[in-house]
Amino acid sequence: MSRYRVPGKGRVDAARPVGFTFDGAAYHGLAGDTVASALLANGVHLMGRSFKYHRPRGPVSAGSEEPNALIGTRRGPGRFEPNTRATMQEVWEGLQTTSQNKYPSLRFDIGAVNDAAYMLFSAGFYYKTFKWPQSFWHKVYEPFIRAAAGLGVAPAEEDPDHYASRYLHCDLLIVGAGPAGLAAAVEAAGRGLSVAIVDENAEAGGTLLSEPQAVIDGQKAWDWLAQTLKHLKAAGVRVMTRTTAFGYYHQNMIGLVQKLTDHLAAPSADLPRERLWRVRARQVVLAQGALEKPLIFNGNDRPGVMLAGSAQTYLNRYGVRVGDEAVVVTSHDSAWYAAFDLADAGTRIKAIVDTREKVSEDLLSAARLRGIETRLSHSVTATGGRLRLAHVTVNEVDCGQVREGQRIYCDCLLMSGGWTPSLHLFSHTKGSLQWDADLTTFLPKDTPEDCVIAGAGRGLWGIGAALNDGTEQARAALRALGVEGAGGVHAVDHDRSGSGTTMRELPTDRNPGRAKAFVDYQNDVTAKDLRLAVREGMRSIEHVKRYTTNGMATDQGKMSNINGLNIAADALGKPQPEVGLTTFRPPYTPTSFGAFAGYHRGDHFEVVRKTQIDPWAEEHGAVFENVAQWRRARYFPKPGEDMDAAVRRECAAVRASVGIFDASTLGKIEVVGPDAVEFMNRMYTNPWTKLAPGRCRYGLLLGDDGFIRDDGVIGRLSQDRFHVTTTTGGAARVMNMMEDYLQTEWPDLNVWLTSTTEEWSTVALNGPDAATLLQPFVEGVDLTEDAFPHMSCIECTVAGLPARLFRISFTGEVGFEVNVPAPYGRQLWETLWQAGQRHDICAYGTETMHVLRAEKGYIIVGQDTDGTVTPYDAGMGWAVGKKKPDFVGMRGLARPDLTAEGRKQLVGLLTKDGSKLEEGAQIVFDPDQPIPMKMVGHVTSSYDIGTTERPIALALIEGGHDRMGETVHIPMPDRTIAATITGTVFVDPENARLKIRGESA
Amino acid sequence: MKTITSLTPAMLADSAAVRVESLGPQGRISLRARGDLSALNGALGLDLPTRIGHRASTEGMEALCLGPDEWVLVLAHDRVDAMLAALGAVYDDHPHSATSISGREVSLLIDGPRAAELLAIACPRDIATIAEGAGRRTVFDGASVVIWHDAPGRFRMDVWNSFASFVAQTLITGARELAAEPVEGG
Repeated sequence: MSRYRVPGKGRVDAARPVGFTFDGAAYHGLAGDTVASALLANGVHLMGRSFKYHRPRGPVSAGSEEPNALIGTRRGPGRFEPNTRATMQEVWEGLQTTSQNKYPSLRFDIGAVNDAAYMLFSAGFYYKTFKWPQSFWHKVYEPFIRAAAGLGVAPAEEDPDHYASRYLHCDLLIVGAGPAGLAAAVEAAGRGLSVAIVDENAEAGGTLLSEPQAVIDGQKAWDWLAQTLKHLKAAGVRVMTRTTAFGYYHQNMIGLVQKLTDHLAAPSADLPRERLWRVRARQVVLAQGALEKPLIFNGNDRPGVMLAGSAQTYLNRYGVRVGDEAVVVTSHDSAWYAAFDLADAGTRIKAIVDTREKVSEDLLSAARLRGIETRLSHSVTATGGRLRLAHVTVNEVDCGQVREGQRIYCDCLLMSGGWTPSLHLFSHTKGSLQWDADLTTFLPKDTPEDCVIAGAGRGLWGIGAALNDGTEQARAALRALGVEGAGGVHAVDHDRSGSGTTMRELPTDRNPGRAKAFVDYQNDVTAKDLRLAVREGMRSIEHVKRYTTNGMATDQGKMSNINGLNIAADALGKPQPEVGLTTFRPPYTPTSFGAFAGYHRGDHFEVVRKTQIDPWAEEHGAVFENVAQWRRARYFPKPGEDMDAAVRRECAAVRASVGIFDASTLGKIEVVGPDAVEFMNRMYTNPWTKLAPGRCRYGLLLGDDGFIRDDGVIGRLSQDRFHVTTTTGGAARVMNMMEDYLQTEWPDLNVWLTSTTEEWSTVALNGPDAATLLQPFVEGVDLTEDAFPHMSCIECTVAGLPARLFRISFTGEVGFEVNVPAPYGRQLWETLWQAGQRHDICAYGTETMHVLRAEKGYIIVGQDTDGTVTPYDAGMGWAVGKKKPDFVGMRGLARPDLTAEGRKQLVGLLTKDGSKLEEGAQIVFDPDQPIPMKMVGHVTSSYDIGTTERPIALALIEGGHDRMGETVHIPMPDRTIAATITGTVFVDPENARLKIRGESA
Repeated sequence: MKTITSLTPAMLADSAAVRVESLGPQGRISLRARGDLSALNGALGLDLPTRIGHRASTEGMEALCLGPDEWVLVLAHDRVDAMLAALGAVYDDHPHSATSISGREVSLLIDGPRAAELLAIACPRDIATIAEGAGRRTVFDGASVVIWHDAPGRFRMDVWNSFASFVAQTLITGARELAAEPVEGG
């Protein structure tokens, strides 16, 4: 049994010792211990070094609010986590833990020189010190701040754990399983509602775990707790422990993180480490309780100085005395009970120091009974000891005069400055707060969400009050759900109700300007820093906070906010509500990135859409690229080929014989109904009325601003049925835009849209041999100029499959797109691939497709257009129906700036030196003008030699259409390239190659 | 993971908690219409349900109402053309859109005592609101899906082909997680 373990006390399992290490030294705890309780049981208080001054620190609390005892934990290879709160991490056999922010060791740390130089590190230190010279910022200041910032060491290895997510919908969510939350759950259970109660601790019970003396409804507190939990589970209430409600979002969406394996020695590999729950609750009861406030005095951070309530928790919940000889300093009754419990367990209480003049006779007599010396109207002005508290200085305060101090030797100092209701989640709801002058704290007022707050969270004190308020508040929540509760009152004996006063810095006889009286332990902010900030002109608490960093550490100011506010308000001479409270933001406690990422990591990071032909491409060595959510084959390199070589070969093959291309990703929309043609006329710039069934047309889609949004070839299958294609990336957007117009502007049209992108696998054949290759497989149409000319479409049979066959070209060659039901895409592809071998068929990817279309001047929306390009800018005025009464974008096109001279227009570029331009490069007319030059456009597409003899480019250039043959210049880092403006068609301007040649081909 | 296709049904996950299978070919028609539906009902041989999420069925065919003017019809693969023809016969009297989407998606079977929990890992909708015998279009892990609740603990999920592998991967991971987890949820 460890030196400070109290036999028979606590909820730990004395029969199950657990071995773990801290900074390499082996320790034993008991099952049920946290790292902090286990180390304290071994007499270890020193657990870390502070952030700024590297002061030795030990746990000041026993819960998630802990600012000091932050450790590194290692759970095996790759599983290192910094800044874990030792007060929350449960021990298990083999757990490795380390202290932080120390060099070379925790006991001797060089950084502690900062502590001696503390006068230099005052409020606003960074702002004052790192201001100038400006040139120092990048090389000196920023690296220095980065090195100094943060406590733990970021993990270097990839996180091998996996993380889960889940949605939960319930009628009632209760946050906090202390007396108020449990009573609320009891009230709600068994009424046909789905109820969940969550608590961040390893077990439910909250305060009850620390106050076993209470008797609830005639049962000992722990018996009542066990029976209540059993009853709740039997009634179907979901009780979730190790589960933190970290954020309260709109419309009663609450985020929870459930820790699943951090407490296990050998968890199953399939178990996630943490699970993020997104809970949508119809009603919420917030029962988060209250957090004890530290007192502010010189040396209040020395290891051994601890919140009194936490010492009580270590004793009653974990069976650990935090020291042999204690002094208690308090302004609240609650610390007296902690003193009594410790005294009864064998710790010598050398004095109870209370700042108040009077306390109740009950407390005084209980102290007398135990032989504890009590000192009212006293203050603590100093503590001593190197790595652990050794003595405290206690001074009488007489009519505001602080008398000479007296040193009391002790190994722990238990403090209580009263309790702060935990309003974090309530504040996330945008709930309003009201100042309670009696309690010197903010209390919850109104919230726009469907939630109530119960128990100590709204300033009530004592187990009885919390239980009965839990019942009452749950009843209110039930009423909102249309269910009548039973109500009722819990009777509690040995309850420890009490009261207290609120202190700022404790009175001292020393120079307060030299006091190291910490308000924010984690960020090393002292009371004098806050007062200095006010002296230097900060007026709002928001400014004081940012200037001093008070409350800005990962503990979110759980201990420091109210103390900071009280001090700032005093310095400003204003009441606290006028100075304001800083905003609480999610997460309530630090939350791992893994929990937020959930399943979305590695190869599952985000949706990757694959076509049915994708596996063939993968088997044939394709290099892929992502296009919107799709992955597409970019090129098919042969052994030894780089991209340029592969693309050159693929381009040549398409122009020489035939290439095969997976075009399945193109968006497809089936437009059907008696008003289909009218709808098409209104959506697209082109006229559709005269397009005969069996024919196709290139369609251009604008936004109502007149700029190009999308394009694609559209086939009319019958009078009332169109097969619309869109760009790969634009499919969903175009569908939404069309639905939007249909539903909001033209609900009178009898036409419906169906997304058929994925109904079809689309195989494109392009090249002079395409018709010859395809003809034997086609039933129902002859692939001749007469029977099936360019821009035809037909429903027929291809290779025995029902197909929609289009004769279209995005390469300038004879082209077909064969659509078959998607699952048969690969079968069709392989059939054509086999048959194509005698035509030297070549599979090509998106890169070759891009080159071939650029050689023909076909645009790619989003590459050659950027959302500011009109059809006229793109040289595609021919696609605009001049006689149409209206279409989306027609009014936009008439705007003066869209018809003005000098707009950027799409042209071709040929470099004079035969080099390839860079896509995105800026263009100038005069290369000799002074810098900054006037940029007149940019290169939109640029390709190295494909099947042309020189590199080609497309560009948007001011007034480009009227500048044919002129020279422009493209300044690059190393040189300036001259280029000639040309038309956009580089290959076969007469479109002769689109014609099917004779049988001999 | 391998590309999922209706041509090769496969067992994706199988444990006491839940089983996930990809199913074979299925005939499907997307039907859009409004107004008096009696002409269509006549052609279909069933009364189209008019409340979203409700289903109606007749011998060999089931209709699920997905929207105020939208249904999906599920039937044998080889009956799709005949059904399209029957609908086409009443088109002039009652204009509508009937489009085959048989090849568009893959159906996944999710079956087992913890099937609903598996769906809850990535579906923001309350699965309990999809009553037995009903269905809904919703999202699962970023993909639009239709979930059919066929029997206690048995669901079907229709997902577009290109999303199927990603969605299946999520389900497989989740099924493994459920199998490893102690049954008691708390």
